[in-house]
Amino acid sequence: MANTFNLKIYATDKVVYDGECEYLALPATDGEYAILANHERVLVAMVMGESKYTVDGEKKILFTGSGFCYFNDNNAVIIVDTAERPDEIDERRAEEAKLRAEERLRQKQSKNDFYSSQAALSRALSRMQEAARHKRGI
Amino acid sequence: MASLSELQERISSIKDTMKITNAMYMISSNKMRKARESLSNTEPYFSTLEDIIASVLTHAPEVSHEVFGDSIIHGHISNMPEERRRKGFVVMTADKGLAGSYNHNILKLAEKAIKEPRRSYKLYVVGHVGEAYFRARHYNIDETFHYTAQNPSLGRARNIARAIMEPFMNNELDEIYLIYTRMISAVEMEPVITRLLPLSREDYADTDGSYTDVPMFPSPEAVLSSVAPTCVVGYIYSALIEAYCCEQNARVNAMQAATDAGQEMLHDLSIQYNRVRQARITQEITEVAAGAKALKRAK
Repeated sequence: MANTFNLKIYATDKVVYDGECEYLALPATDGEYAILANHERVLVAMVMGESKYTVDGEKKILFTGSGFCYFNDNNAVIIVDTAERPDEIDERRAEEAKLRAEERLRQKQSKNDFYSSQAALSRALSRMQEAARHKRGI
Repeated sequence: MASLSELQERISSIKDTMKITNAMYMISSNKMRKARESLSNTEPYFSTLEDIIASVLTHAPEVSHEVFGDSIIHGHISNMPEERRRKGFVVMTADKGLAGSYNHNILKLAEKAIKEPRRSYKLYVVGHVGEAYFRARHYNIDETFHYTAQNPSLGRARNIARAIMEPFMNNELDEIYLIYTRMISAVEMEPVITRLLPLSREDYADTDGSYTDVPMFPSPEAVLSSVAPTCVVGYIYSALIEAYCCEQNARVNAMQAATDAGQEMLHDLSIQYNRVRQARITQEITEVAAGAKALKRAK
């Protein structure tokens, strides 16, 4: 069996995973960042995207929101605002959120509101992309 | 002594009120169960977040004050005396009353904190009750967040975080405090004031100093800038959830107490009612007997 380390994934509303894992790949701010057992201590900032981890040779994919991962002494802690399995993503909700955000972007609004709509739009788009990718079976 | 019809009226009105309190008890105990569940779900997230802020971020190198994340963590208050600091307060109250002393306690604490002498302050209020309270007392409310107290969600926490981080980043505020109710145990709740921004705390800084520098990927600036807002949102979200749970808990207790009090009153009133009824019957019998006697004597 490969070297393993402990992985905990905490989203704001649930504990997604707590157990051993062999391999972890995170969507960092400038590309993917992979972690194996006995990695040095590190704090990685994460953006919205796919987090992959392997348990007993089985590859698992999670769609995670922004957050960070702290790896220390063979313990990885991932703290993200949301985490969903690709098949859990509610496509219709994402679609509605996208339309809502686009609608808001079309209207005149303050700089602040503009950024918030933009952020909402990008969240909705990445959710939809992820769901589509999952459907194609990649 | 009150007349029979008066007593009857009171009894029926108490019964009606009890129907309401009883229904509210059931509704809020149901809501409380859900709130407890979501509280226990966020618990691990929140405590780990706190740990990491305490152990890593506080010891993060001070990059530069221009960097977004850095000023969120360290702030610019290091040498500022307490009364010179401009503070922001986020007060979390309920949308509705009838929750015992829940709203009262939190508002009392908030008012005390606001009244301390200082240069200036900003007030952010969650929930209708707090808004009405501060409006009535002519406080200057900078922003209110509606529909937040009833249904705490991440999106709402993001909105609040955005609203309070902006004046902080524009150097209009030096500190931001959260005022909310904390759940100590199932029966014990306590209103607390905790500092939200800047994230680092003096009491974190002097922990044994065994933390060495943590390498950050891709760069300390990037990590801090992305981690700090997440922490702020997480903090607010957890506080919202906890406050909501406390609100439901307080309401359950208040409604339980009201129903109990109603039952006690009904008990007392029904004794009184029976006494009055008995006294009337006795009086009637006496009257009939006396009348019969008088008739007999007249014959």
